[in-house]
Formats: sequence, C-alpha cells, structure tokens
Amino acid sequence: MKVSMNWLKKYADIPMTAEEYENRMIMTGTGVEGVEKLGSEFDHVVVGRVLSCRDHENSDHLHVCEVDVGGDAPLQIVCGAPNVKAGILVPVALPGAHLPGGVTIKKSKMRGVESEGMLCSSTELGVPVELYPSVGAAGLLIFNEDYPVGTDVKSIFFADDTVIDFEILANRPDCLCVWGVARETAAAMGTELRLPEITVQEAGGDIHDFARVEVRDAELCPRYAAKVVKNVRIAPSPLWLRQYLHAAGMRAINNVVDITNFIMLETGHPMHAFDLDKVRGRHIIVRRAEAGESLTTLDGKTYDLPQTALMICDEMGPTGLAGIMGGEESEITENTKTILFECAAFDRTSIRLTSRALGIRTESSGRFERGVAPATVMDALNRACQMVNELDAGDVVGGVIDEYPHPVSPVTLTVSCRRMARRAGVDIAPEEMVEILKKLQFVVTRDGDALTVTAPAFRQDIEQEADICEEVLRYAGYDRIPTTRLRGETTTGGLNDKAARQEALRRGLTGMGFYETMTFSFVSPKVIAMLGWPEEDKRSQPLMVRNPLGEDTACMRTTLLCGLFRTLETNIKNGNENGRIYEMGTVFDARNKTAEGLPTESPELAVGMYGAGADFYAVRGVAEALCRRAGVAYQLADCNEPYLHPGRRAALVSGGETLAVVGEVHPDAAERFDLTGRVYVAVIYLPALFRLSTPMGEVKPIARFPAVARDIALVMPEKTPVGPLMDAIRHGCGPLLEDIRMFDVFRGVQIGLGNKSVAFSLTFRAADHTLAEDEINRLTDKAVRTAERHSGAVLRS
Amino acid sequence: MDIRENLSRIGEELEKELHDLDALQALENLKVRVLGKKGSLTALLRGMGQLSPEERPKAGQLINEAREKMTRLLEDKQKELAEREKEARLKKEAIDVTEPRDLPLIGCVHPMNLVLNQVLDCFTSMGFDVAEGPEVELDHYNFELLNIPKNHPARDAQDTFYIDDNTVLRTHTSPVQARTMLSRKPPIRIVCPGRVFRADEVDATHSPVFHQIEGLVIDKDVTMGDLKGTLDAFAKRLYGPDIEVRFRPSFFPFTEPSAEVDLTCFNCHGKGCRVCKGTGWIEVLGCGMVNPKVLSMCGIDPDVYSGFAFGIGLERITMLRYGIQDMRLLYEGDLRFLRQFR
Repeated sequence: MKVSMNWLKKYADIPMTAEEYENRMIMTGTGVEGVEKLGSEFDHVVVGRVLSCRDHENSDHLHVCEVDVGGDAPLQIVCGAPNVKAGILVPVALPGAHLPGGVTIKKSKMRGVESEGMLCSSTELGVPVELYPSVGAAGLLIFNEDYPVGTDVKSIFFADDTVIDFEILANRPDCLCVWGVARETAAAMGTELRLPEITVQEAGGDIHDFARVEVRDAELCPRYAAKVVKNVRIAPSPLWLRQYLHAAGMRAINNVVDITNFIMLETGHPMHAFDLDKVRGRHIIVRRAEAGESLTTLDGKTYDLPQTALMICDEMGPTGLAGIMGGEESEITENTKTILFECAAFDRTSIRLTSRALGIRTESSGRFERGVAPATVMDALNRACQMVNELDAGDVVGGVIDEYPHPVSPVTLTVSCRRMARRAGVDIAPEEMVEILKKLQFVVTRDGDALTVTAPAFRQDIEQEADICEEVLRYAGYDRIPTTRLRGETTTGGLNDKAARQEALRRGLTGMGFYETMTFSFVSPKVIAMLGWPEEDKRSQPLMVRNPLGEDTACMRTTLLCGLFRTLETNIKNGNENGRIYEMGTVFDARNKTAEGLPTESPELAVGMYGAGADFYAVRGVAEALCRRAGVAYQLADCNEPYLHPGRRAALVSGGETLAVVGEVHPDAAERFDLTGRVYVAVIYLPALFRLSTPMGEVKPIARFPAVARDIALVMPEKTPVGPLMDAIRHGCGPLLEDIRMFDVFRGVQIGLGNKSVAFSLTFRAADHTLAEDEINRLTDKAVRTAERHSGAVLRS
Repeated sequence: MDIRENLSRIGEELEKELHDLDALQALENLKVRVLGKKGSLTALLRGMGQLSPEERPKAGQLINEAREKMTRLLEDKQKELAEREKEARLKKEAIDVTEPRDLPLIGCVHPMNLVLNQVLDCFTSMGFDVAEGPEVELDHYNFELLNIPKNHPARDAQDTFYIDDNTVLRTHTSPVQARTMLSRKPPIRIVCPGRVFRADEVDATHSPVFHQIEGLVIDKDVTMGDLKGTLDAFAKRLYGPDIEVRFRPSFFPFTEPSAEVDLTCFNCHGKGCRVCKGTGWIEVLGCGMVNPKVLSMCGIDPDVYSGFAFGIGLERITMLRYGIQDMRLLYEGDLRFLRQFR
C-alpha cells in the first residue's frame, strides 16, 4: 500500500524523523516495505525562461538559445526540439545534472557551438503526460503556469513528496487507504487525527427521478449506495490530485474518474462512475451473470461470464463486473453529461473467485477481496460528492439511493483487563488499556476489571477478547513483553521413536562416508515408469497432485530412487569422484489408505555409490551393516527389481519381509537415468527394519578359554553360491564354530576349469573348556563333510 | 711371564679393540676371543695350574677381577652399539610425512539436519516432545481447525497443492498442532519438524517443497512472556548469549496476538550489514498466542488453558547460518556443496 506523505500529513502530524516514524509504525503493526523520495531519478533540473532563440549556423534543425535560469548571466544552450521558441518556460538540466537512465549533463560543444545544459522533454525527465500535460517525446515540456526561474522542477512535479510502501496485515483491510494509515499514524504518534468534515452542496432534484437500483442478490451485495451528478463538466484534474494519484501508482484520467480513484485511495472504498445516459432504462440491477452473457470491460477485453459472477447490469444486460472492473459501454467520456456514483459492499469470496476465474486483478478487486466495511460506504460516497463540489465537476442531484437491507451493527464485547494482561504477560493497567482503545476509536466503558468495548465501524477484525488484547498490546508495546520461563508441570521431552531411529541410521551412514541429500517429494509419473515396475505394482500407481506446477512434479514419490538417480546423475555429470550419498524421506502409497482416508506414508532410505571402493559387495555391506546395527537377523535372497543388474542384485529378508534390496544399476536403467559408469544402490524399507529391530540386551562375558583357528580350502563349481554354503557349515558345526570367514577365492587349471577354490578360516571355541586336538579335527571334518553334502564341495588337496 | 703383565696386556688390547669397534657382530667375536672357551683370559685361568699353591689364590683373585671389569666393558659397549644401531634403523625408516594419502571416509548429514538437530536438542532439553504428522493432510486439519475457513484467500489453489477437494499437501506444519491437541491433554509441549508444500516456482529463495519446525505449548496461564522467554532461550542457545529477540505485531489466523520475531543479526551483532540489510535484525519466525477459537475447535477449553505456537523456516535459518545464497543448492545434492559441511 503506497501512501503519499503529503497526503497523509493532511490528516495526521508526524512530529519525528522519517526513520523514527517508520520504526514506530513497524512496532505498532504497520510494516514498511519501502520508501521512495519522488523525483529522485533526476537532479539539478530547474525552471528556465528561453530569452532568445536563433538558428544554429551549422545545422538545419538545431537552435541556439539564451536561457535565464536565475543565475548572474543567462546560459547558452543548444536545443533541437521543434517547439522551442523565445518566451517559454521550460525545464533546464544544468551542467552536472543527472537524468533518468544514467544520463549526466555536461558542458559541451554542439557543432562548434558551446552548450551549457539541456532543455528537457517530459520523456527525458520520466514525467508521464497524465501527471503533467506535455507533448511527450515530441518536444520540450512547456510550463503552463508562471513559475519563478531557478525553481527546482522536482518541487513542481512531485511537491517534494515521499512515498512509503506500507505492508498491511491481512486482518486490517481498513488500513488499505490514506485514512486508515492516518488513523494508525495518529494513534502511534499520539497526535490528533484530522479527517475532513464531509459536507455536500446539492443542486436540487431527486435522484429517484434519475435512476433506479435493484439488488437481486443481497448476499453477494449487502449494500449498494448511489448518488447522481448532472451537468457533468469533464476536465483534467488539478495538479495536486494528479500528484496524489501518481504517488499511489495510479494514472490520472479525468476529474470524474480521478475522484473515484481518489476516494478509493483515501477511504478504502472502491467506487465506480457510470455514464448514466448509457445505462439502459437508467435502471441498475445487481445480479449474478446468466448463461451465455459476456461483457467488454473498460480495457477493451471481452469476457464470457461464469454464472457465479456478480454483475452490475442494466435492463439490457451486464454493464460492469461488480467490484472488479466497469464495462466499456457505460464508460465516462468527454461527452458524459450525467453520472451515477456507485459505492457498494460486495462479498469477499465472490469477488475473489470471479477475479481468479477471469484472471482480472484490479486495485478495486484487491480491496473487496480483503473486505470493505458496509457500514462506512456512505462516508465515501458523500466525500466523492464533496470532491465534485470542490473540483466543480458537476451538480450533485439531491437524495441518495441506499440499498442496505441488513445494516451491520457494531461489535460490542465485554472483556477482562486482568485476563488480557495475563495473556499478554505484560502488566498493563486498566487505565492504560482504556486510553489505548479510545485512541483507536473504540468506545469504552469500564466497570472495575470489566471493559465494555464497541469497535469502530471500519474495523471488521474484532471478534473476541484476544483481538482486544492484541490492540492493547500493540500500543502498549511489544517491547514490554518480558522474557519469562515456562512454569507448570514438568514434561520430559525427547525425540519420538521414529526420529530417534532415523537419527541413528544417519549417524551410521555418516561414519561410512555417506553424505545426506534431499530431493522434492513429488516426481514425474514418467520417471517412476523408467524404473520398469509392472503397471500393477503399487509403486507404479502414485498419488497424483491435482494442480501440480508441471508434469515433472505431478505425483507424490512412491520411491526415493527417482530423486537418488537424479542426484547421482548431477554428481557424475559434475565430475565429482567417488560419490556416496543417501536420502531418507517419506514415500506415499496411494493404494493403502489410512483410517482417515489418507495415503499411507512410510519412511524409506535410498543409498547410492560409485567410483573407488564401490561395488556390489560394498553396497550390500552398507545395507547389512545397518541391519546388524538395528539388531535384525536377515538372510540374503533373490531379488527381481527390474532396475538392477539381473546377475548383481539381492534382497535382505527376514521372516518373509524384505528389509532391503541392493545391487548394481541395470545398464538399461542407467541409460534411462543418464548414469555413466557402474552405479550401486540400496533401498532400505524402514518400516520393516524398525519393526524387526531388537533392543540391545545384556552383554555376554568375554570367553575365558582359547579359540583355535583352522583354514580349509574347498573346491566347488563356479556357480555354487558361497553364502548359503557358509550358512550350512555354521549350522552343521553348531555353536562350537564361533566364526567362519571367507578369505580367498582361487581359480586356475590346477583345480579344473569351471571350478573355484574358496578358502575359509574357521574359529572354534568352547565356553567351558579348552578344545582338545581330536575335537578340533572332528569339527573340521564335520565342516568339510557338510560342505560336500550341501553343494558337492571337496577339500582341496 | 708375570700374570699381572699378561692381564694388563689383555686388558689394554681389549680396550683398544673396543674403542675401534662399531658392529655388534665384531663385539661378539671379541668377546669370544677374550672370554670364550679358547679366549685369552680363559687360557690364563687354565695356566694357573702351573703356579705354586701359595700364588694361586692371589692370581685367581686378580684374574676374576680382570674378568669382571672386561665383562662390564663389553656389556657397556654392547649397550652402546645396540642403541646406535636402533638409532640408525629409525633414521633409515624415516618417511615423508607430508606425502598425501586418501583419508578414511566420513560423511555428513544434510545441512538442514545439522541445524534441525541443534534446534531439536534445544527444545527437547526444555521438555518438548517431537511430534510428526502426515504430509498429505486433510483440509480439515490443515485449514479448518486453524481458523482458515473455506474460501479464505490462504487456501487459494495458487498457494496450495490439492489432491482432491478434501485433501491437500500440507501448507505448514501447524496441522500437527491440531492433531496433537485433539489427541492429548494439556500440558502439551511439542515441536513438529517436517516438510511442507506451497505452489511456488523454484528460484533462489523459493521452493515448492520446504521445511518448517512448529512449536506448541498448551497449559494453564501460559503468557506471551513465556513465548518470548522460550524463543529467547532458543536464540541464545543457537546463536550465542548476546543475541536479543524482538517481537513485532503481525497476523496469523491461528494466533492472537501474533508476532513476527527478529533476532539480532548474528553476522554483525546488530551493527547493520548486508545480511540484515542494515537493520541489525533478522526476521526468523512467526508466532503468537494460540487463538481461543482454535483451542475450542480442538477440544481445549480456552477459559482454562492458554498456549503459544511458533513456526520456524528451516531453509531460512540454515541459509542464514551457513551464508547460503541459493536455496536450490539444498536440493541438488551436489557433493561439492555437501562436502563442505561437518
């Protein structure tokens, strides 16, 4: 909300520096987003009078002028503008002047003639024609008024104004206007609020002879008020009004339209002026659009109207989009003779939905969306008529039309001073509360601790004691809130189970050299499809977002792999060596709904690695280490994830549940995801891992009797899997086999082609005695025989 | 020849040889030549048989004394040589300690989790539990119970991702508040970290996915002073004892009164710099006293209980903490970025 300080200061004094003022406003709830000194784009430009003007001897279009800028002697300035002539008053950029666009004026020679500055057009100064009339870029700006030479032209165009861009909170639409900011300013400064007294000179007649208003949808239009002005005299607005509009970022058009915009900016009530002679039947009907209706708005665009849209119509059809934009048909023109001023209150939601549906946002719709108080409509309408009087823009017809079937009564609350002070945590005396509320135009009566408070008509946000408490605290000062410690019953506090387990996994992965990554929760269904799951797999049926930003964020992830592959691709492309990354996050299952009908959300962990030290066994090791750490016993099992290499993939399972899948990325998947080189991934299903994890129990005593190690080498066909063979040996030897480790695999002609020799180190130990030589031999034999029985492996001789 | 002469000759020769000796093996040889079975001193001892019985004790004593002395000399020399050889070995084994090698791998959690862990440590130590809720959330919890009724501008499709008419991607972590109040009795002290979603295009300061940390306290007689005290403790714990907290009036539908919270700029300590745009303050979070309407809707009697809530943007405090200029870095996973964290 941009506010001209000149305009604001008409209604409230600001007896402090700009910085102090801004700070005070911020601390009472009106934020400051920016401050702009108008005209700061140029300097050293003054009013000058062209004393003489002759043709340049070396040019057919340049002139050499003598210009009086109020100095000791006139300046000689070369000028090429077609409208330059002796006698005119023009803006003169002196040597050293800065102009918009980074231009600096210097003394120079133009075709051999000295030039001590530049005569300016409005375009060169960045002064729009609607702020000050001129021929624009076609020639010099010529002042119509008789300003003294040497006057700083900034003061003429901008009246030395400063514009503050205030940040108005969503619950304070009443502050979206100069009066609103003035009310807050006066309260914050402790100065007097001087809003104008509104009086209207009426020229006689009765509005009911001129127009009729019929509100057919009072729900969407709780109030519709109108005044008529006849003998309208369309003209440009005076400079001060054009300056106010310019400062607020609006364009001046003509006196009638400018009055409606002025009223909106000053009072917060958007208004509209209709050319009443173009309103067919002079009958205004407020109703929803009917099927097939369309409207051409002021900006010349035609819209097909949704039937929910509230329209201002005449007897033939729509003539304006209520609260958003007027129609072209009844637009004010130079020939307008009679106007109807509309000042109304419309339903916020209706305006918002229509504005969204048609894609039109205006100063007016923005204000209605945030809420315009029906109770203050008449003030704004009368103020508009007062302006008509002031600008002599026409004759105000007597009487008013005011369709307001259910007047809004002011909100009155009874509140407790003690409760409010306790809520705020600040010791504010009841007297101070009363004073603050009165300053904010609340009507207050006090009975001991109880205040009976009536909110001013312009406030629509006051509903309960907490709201009054906020008003009081804002002006008592948020700085007075003390810093106190929480009291009451002690609570233990701590991470929840899931967060604690996830944190433990993170610590493990950090220790193994992995960096954590994060990617978005939504992905493209096409990217999920690249993983190759069959259509009936639930992971191929993601939860779709109804209004995604784009196709690549159209659904919720059913796996972390899409993000992981993308992050791997980024790192490989960027030449980052030896990548080890993981992501832990939520995946969404659209098919299994919770009791509330929401998709099931589960945590998942995806690990990826490439480069030195990365191979199938390394990534499997990561998954295994995490399972062990969680105290989960698992077996290796087949895995048929299509994105993994069919000969280099496995699952970690426990009691029929899959804890993890691990493997090398299938070359087809690698190609689809743009991964070069061999990449290894693991997906760990955390709900299963967490469910099966076991807490750590008591420690076992350290064995007192010595262990004995025996190495054996077994020859077996190449295809024999070693893992199950080791499981069989473990099972066969029983608890006396403390450990079995594979330490070598040998392939060579000595043991026959298609065979491998696998060397194991067996560690035997008994808890209650030292193993004797024959016991050890018997156990070793048992290991060999078990291996033979299990997979035909024979002891290498 | 006189035995004395012999002894002193052997002694002199030994001392002379010891003096020139520089290897342990040579020392061993010398020892054998003098003290060994066929050694010169041993020969002298054997030759005692030729002496008269009166001379023998005297000679025996002399020889033994000489033997002891020589043994001592040999031992000293041996120690000396062993020490010298060790020194030589150590010298020979010296390596270039500046030669580089690959380091053992150690990773790091995501920068946002580094910061989150600090935040959670702080609040859990003040008795807050960590609570979580679904990311795909019912409209009822995300909006309705938080005093954001149907058709409120905050629900616009421009800001909110919808799954269907009643289901949204939560736009804040505040629905966890509502869920907690409905399922637990006061006193309640929770923090709820989590992902939230808003329909913003990706740029340096916006992301359609981001993280919040919500806090909620409900108890009897909770005041805005308690809120400020709690956030003051948080700020000082995270950023240092000289950090001040400033409350500014603000508005949120689910709190009343509401405040925007600034902290002393931790870059310039309030002097004014690029990070705080010269103000000396950095806006870090929004908070307020829980709106009594929200308490009522969530089944808590606002005449008995009051409470406060706050919401911290995790991306923002992470970016401020590490001077990260572009939010996209947090979601790209580029190891050149991640490897800087510890």
